[in-house]
Amino acid sequence: MGLSLGEKNFIKGGIAQDIRTDGRKRLTYRPVSVETGVIPQASGSARVKMGATDVIASVKAELGKPNASHPDKGRVSIYVDCSPTAEPTFEGRGGEELSIELSTALQRCLLGGKSGAGAGIDLSSLSIVEGKVCWDIYIDGLVVSSDGNLLDALGAAIKAALSNTAIPKVEVAANASSDEQPEVDVSDEEFLQFDTTGIPVIITLTKVGRHYIVDATAEEESQMSSAVSISVNRQGRICGLTKRGGAGLDPSIILDMISVAKHVSEQLIDKLDSEIAAAEACDEEL
Amino acid sequence: MAGKISNTPATYTPSPTSQNKKRPSIVTGSDWVRPDGRGLHQCRPAFLRTGAVNSASGSAYAEFGNTKVIVSVFGPRESKKAMMYSDIGRLNCNVSYTSFATPIRGQVHESFDPYTLKLCSYFSPSTVIFCINLMLLVCQASDSKDLSSMLHKALEGAIILESFPKTTVDVFALVLESGGSDLPVVISCASLALSDAGIRLYDIVASVSMSCLGMNLVIDPVSEEESYQDGNLMITCMPSRNEVTQMTVTGEWSTPKIHEAMQICLDACTKLGMIMRSCLKEAVSAPEE
Repeated sequence: MGLSLGEKNFIKGGIAQDIRTDGRKRLTYRPVSVETGVIPQASGSARVKMGATDVIASVKAELGKPNASHPDKGRVSIYVDCSPTAEPTFEGRGGEELSIELSTALQRCLLGGKSGAGAGIDLSSLSIVEGKVCWDIYIDGLVVSSDGNLLDALGAAIKAALSNTAIPKVEVAANASSDEQPEVDVSDEEFLQFDTTGIPVIITLTKVGRHYIVDATAEEESQMSSAVSISVNRQGRICGLTKRGGAGLDPSIILDMISVAKHVSEQLIDKLDSEIAAAEACDEEL
Repeated sequence: MAGKISNTPATYTPSPTSQNKKRPSIVTGSDWVRPDGRGLHQCRPAFLRTGAVNSASGSAYAEFGNTKVIVSVFGPRESKKAMMYSDIGRLNCNVSYTSFATPIRGQVHESFDPYTLKLCSYFSPSTVIFCINLMLLVCQASDSKDLSSMLHKALEGAIILESFPKTTVDVFALVLESGGSDLPVVISCASLALSDAGIRLYDIVASVSMSCLGMNLVIDPVSEEESYQDGNLMITCMPSRNEVTQMTVTGEWSTPKIHEAMQICLDACTKLGMIMRSCLKEAVSAPEE
């Protein structure tokens, strides 16, 4: 980002004095707006705007075969697409690298450990017939417009899209023998709601100078030395953590960031939940 | 005669399920023993050696139990013309697995196993085509690009990039055998290779990971432990500067547990840093042949 020396100093000085260029405090988010059901072809979808950052998440559920290593679990894959329509630097390798970085961070923050503990999405609830049929959930994120803090926005969009998701009810034919692929009947009318209470929010703390801020804009991100993304669930437990940016951090600063993120997460979860509920109500009226 | 034949099976079928052993139910108890008999907070024996590849500017070989990694560093070389002018150096990292690194040949890195789709009979043709497209999309990306970017992020904070402007340093890592905690071994080994190449570093970079299994925290997990872990924490740090250059956490953790795990990992990093230092000293003091 091309910034003059004066602009850089203005951003850094503002953060040091707890008044950022857009008038926010260090730990204040930009206004968040949530819209659900934006993609009719998907099982669930949502669009989240945080200031000028605009992302869409869609959820598609398909029947698939579980992995041999986890026969009693469904599968979830997350993929993020950074389209060059959002920013010219996303074309080619730049966008690809960012896509992989965001996808990996989201997988780390939302899917939990290998055994499935601490996962935002309960994989065993996606199983239909053990070892034979399960739901494959494909979560796709799309960056429409980028003005910093993409990871938090994508995390919020995925949370909203999952609460908007309806999974068809499935009937399994009872007479199937043990080695055959059982016949399944997918209902067109009855749908099950997805349980989203355990899905964490992602909070990125961007370190500029000696202080750290939430919800950094692209201008502020260009001045960062490092950033730590922490995902926190409603119980205040840490579900994932990733660090970006080159500069090293003192271990005590990381611990401090974790406690700040826990504090901020309470407000963000409440805000998101009420936004999602409002969006759902608005969606139903239409 | 017939009895003899039945005693010696004619063909050998490796069972892929043996790799995915069920998690022992006593894992939560205190008398649980790790698969290789180590203590909970005991790392695997490490073998480190610099100068493994002659043609590289610097290289290192690391062996932590069954995990065997080789890293070569080339450069600094002139950056490609297409790249814009930069007054600091560039770092280019690549991590790849040999096709025999994993028990199942050519199995891609663990984080991509949800994508190993099997085509089922009841899929409509259009769904199958969609799945294949998705697989291709993901398989291209699965050239351990996530590990490569993790390695890049772990190292860039430690290298004095200002000391080689307009040029690029290539770091190529090859995992010969994957035996668990691959990424931390790759990072530590890459830092040795960079030192061997004479690239200026602020400090040596040591990396250690830790698995959470029920109530227990186990350091330096092997593949088997990784396959049933509840959570994982990896720390990369510069021990003498006491700075963390990279840290990742997966799974659900309470704050006191993160405190505890970080402290154990940082202590282990300090010790690993000392071993790495002595390895470098040995390489210099050894008489040239």
